[in-house]
Amino acid sequence: MLEAKQLSKSYNNVAALSNASIHLKPGLVSGLLGRNGAGKTTLFKILCGLVTPDSGTVNIMSKCAKPIGAVIEEPGLYKYLNAYENLKIFAQIQRAPTDNQSLEKYLKEVGLPLDRKDPVRNFSMGMKQRLGIAIALLNQPEILILDEPFSGLDPTGVASLIKLIKKLAGQNIAILISSHLMAELYKCCDFLYVIDDGEIVNQGSTQELIDEHINFYSISAVNINKAETIQPYVIDTEKDKATLQCSGQLIPDILQNLLQSGYQVTSCVPEITLEQLLTPSPK
Amino acid sequence: MLPLLKAELFKLFNESKTWYAIGAVLLIELIILFAAYYQGTTILDLLLDNLKQSFYFEGNLLNGNLLIYIILNSLWFNLPLILMIVSSALITEEYKNGTLKTIMLQAVSKWQLITAKYLTSLIFTLTVLLLLMSTTFALAYSIFGNGDLVVYLGTLNFFPSEEAFKRICFAFGSGTLSMIFFTTVSVTLGILLKDPAKTWIASAFFLILSSLLLKADFGLGQMERYFFPKFTNSWQRFFEYQLNFPSILFDNLLLIVYTGVAAVIGVYLFKKQDIG
Repeated sequence: MLEAKQLSKSYNNVAALSNASIHLKPGLVSGLLGRNGAGKTTLFKILCGLVTPDSGTVNIMSKCAKPIGAVIEEPGLYKYLNAYENLKIFAQIQRAPTDNQSLEKYLKEVGLPLDRKDPVRNFSMGMKQRLGIAIALLNQPEILILDEPFSGLDPTGVASLIKLIKKLAGQNIAILISSHLMAELYKCCDFLYVIDDGEIVNQGSTQELIDEHINFYSISAVNINKAETIQPYVIDTEKDKATLQCSGQLIPDILQNLLQSGYQVTSCVPEITLEQLLTPSPK
Repeated sequence: MLPLLKAELFKLFNESKTWYAIGAVLLIELIILFAAYYQGTTILDLLLDNLKQSFYFEGNLLNGNLLIYIILNSLWFNLPLILMIVSSALITEEYKNGTLKTIMLQAVSKWQLITAKYLTSLIFTLTVLLLLMSTTFALAYSIFGNGDLVVYLGTLNFFPSEEAFKRICFAFGSGTLSMIFFTTVSVTLGILLKDPAKTWIASAFFLILSSLLLKADFGLGQMERYFFPKFTNSWQRFFEYQLNFPSILFDNLLLIVYTGVAAVIGVYLFKKQDIG
């Protein structure tokens, strides 16, 4: 569907992107995880044709008039127009259908109310993101690229956006999302790319990548700080909570020992940070 | 191209700043008319007292033709400045609000988009000039009536009312070409600078520089004849007593060429530029 090979871009002799390669497949949600300034937006701009790379190629296997729909950084909207007018104007310029039914279909798809007639300057960030996605979906692209779509959203907004992303992937659209928030990408991505200083430093299926890198677990139980079983692995304890550093294979034994020693374990949560994913896979 | 042009016009006339600009142009026109109504006779009497004793002037010299001529003088600075601000905003506001990125993420070609913007600027300029011309004619003739036109261009030139009307119409036509040149340059400056405030300053600077260079003599002889600021005031030449029509026509044609060159440079720069 989309194959980008060895993309590099520099601004004033500072490398923003170095030999980045990426591959998107229909119906698959891919995530691009990296700190702010890691090169995520530069990569997206190159994939969308907004910026010319210094080297490398982007091949898009599509016969659509608009192969890629995207929202890069904040959605750029005409703030003095309402949602319907914004959608209509972007549909009109590319000769996409502008009839009432077609436009309302897009608004409904992204969950925007049809009765809001006020200018989009009054919209919440979540609503602007949704309208941005509706505009990106105009002309039925086969690929959807969303840059930091969770920024500025409250937990409800994040949850409903994840639901929407999964729904769109179900329509066989290839989706690429960037974020610096691990938890959100974990919830919706099938595949992860990790970018740091303009380089893709890690990639793999989300579950595998996380399994390979996870070595911190947070276990909660009453008075767990006194349990002998955890002492060789413990790195931080509170009265009823301990953080352990160990391989995932040891966790079932540790939990069993805790239960046998009479500790009522209420939760065991694997913890992973972006920094852990920046290190190469142990394999 | 047509859908893009329609969209550009829709956006332009939905922006409040467009209406503020049109309002400002009309307000300036009204202020000039009111000032002339209350003070014009006194000033004219003072200026022409001696001449009136030797010559006979048909009708009142403070007439519609003179008022239209005075309003035409807004083509020197205030009108092109307002038009340049609105025209450059066609592109700079899109950069500022990120909407240019959203447009370029649609199935739209870069050159068609920027050409639509230049055409929108052209249509806006023509609309404002047409509005200014029609309201000026209507108000000036209805309030002040017709009469001979007296103009000072190094010397006092007098034109009978019929001749004056013809010359004013030609001057509006030629002035429109000047305004189109300035607005086209402002769009190109917008592409180059991207930022609205910087583009306004650059546009005002360009306008002032053009006025300053208009009378400058660099000793380049015939070459200087083709320097663009020499054409931006061609409309004024319709009020010289001896009308050199072929020369004015040549100047206007060259100004059209300069306008085209400014637009081609803008399209080239825009096509080469990365967005965002």
